[in-house]
Amino acid sequence: MIPWDKLHGAMTHFPIALLLFSTACDFISVTFKKLGFARELRIVSFYALAAAAVASLGAVVSGIALTNGDLWGRGNFGWHHRFVWPAFALLIALAVWRVLVRDTMSRTGLYLYLTLMLLASGLVAAAGYFGGELLLSGGGAP
Amino acid sequence: MKIPLEVKSAVAAIGTSVFILVATFTAAGFYRSQVAGQAQAGSQAPAGENLAAAGRRFFFQSCAHCHGQDADGGEDAPSLRKLQISGTHMALVIQSGIKDEMPSFAKKYNQHDTAALVAYLQTLH
Repeated sequence: MIPWDKLHGAMTHFPIALLLFSTACDFISVTFKKLGFARELRIVSFYALAAAAVASLGAVVSGIALTNGDLWGRGNFGWHHRFVWPAFALLIALAVWRVLVRDTMSRTGLYLYLTLMLLASGLVAAAGYFGGELLLSGGGAP
Repeated sequence: MKIPLEVKSAVAAIGTSVFILVATFTAAGFYRSQVAGQAQAGSQAPAGENLAAAGRRFFFQSCAHCHGQDADGGEDAPSLRKLQISGTHMALVIQSGIKDEMPSFAKKYNQHDTAALVAYLQTLH
């Protein structure tokens, strides 16, 4: 039997960390665009976002297997899902958009993208928080 | 009129995201019904038996000696009355256990039996 609780606990940290890291790299590169490594930071953020999107698929699949397909629920479990699904949708959309646009984005596109990255980071952090609360109250991996 | 790459990409991105989300929800629904069917087939609870009644039987077999006959808590285990967590969360705790506090019952009770236990616990509200 596959230990989905442990797998979900392990896999879910990759998209969270990679998305937050990507957002941080983007903001640093925009804020300090005159620095020599600003362009490299943009490249790092691009690959981190793409990796976060791919890793999120594993986190979602293991989560669905863990809950036997229950996508909503109540209490902390419900809150976890209320943040997870918008975060997942936004993460996929941002990654696809970034892959297609690459570095040809306009100033408006860049600011909209950064705003949505901040929103996605907030949603992912909230989902992670309620996931952690589930764990502390005994609902996750022992 | 030429549509900018950013706009075309945004449409593609939203389309991909919606497609993946719909596929995820559809697959999860299918998986959920499959698991429910399998659990029903391998259950210890007789098919005609009321779910909560079967859960009550399991409760007295495995839970009552720690959580109390009336489920109001024992010396080392908390009350299970008026639990403020969802049924799925209760099932996760029963299946996973709590480290150093409560054993896992995953080997003893399958999904359907766990659902019966949850149904009984929910009658204690």
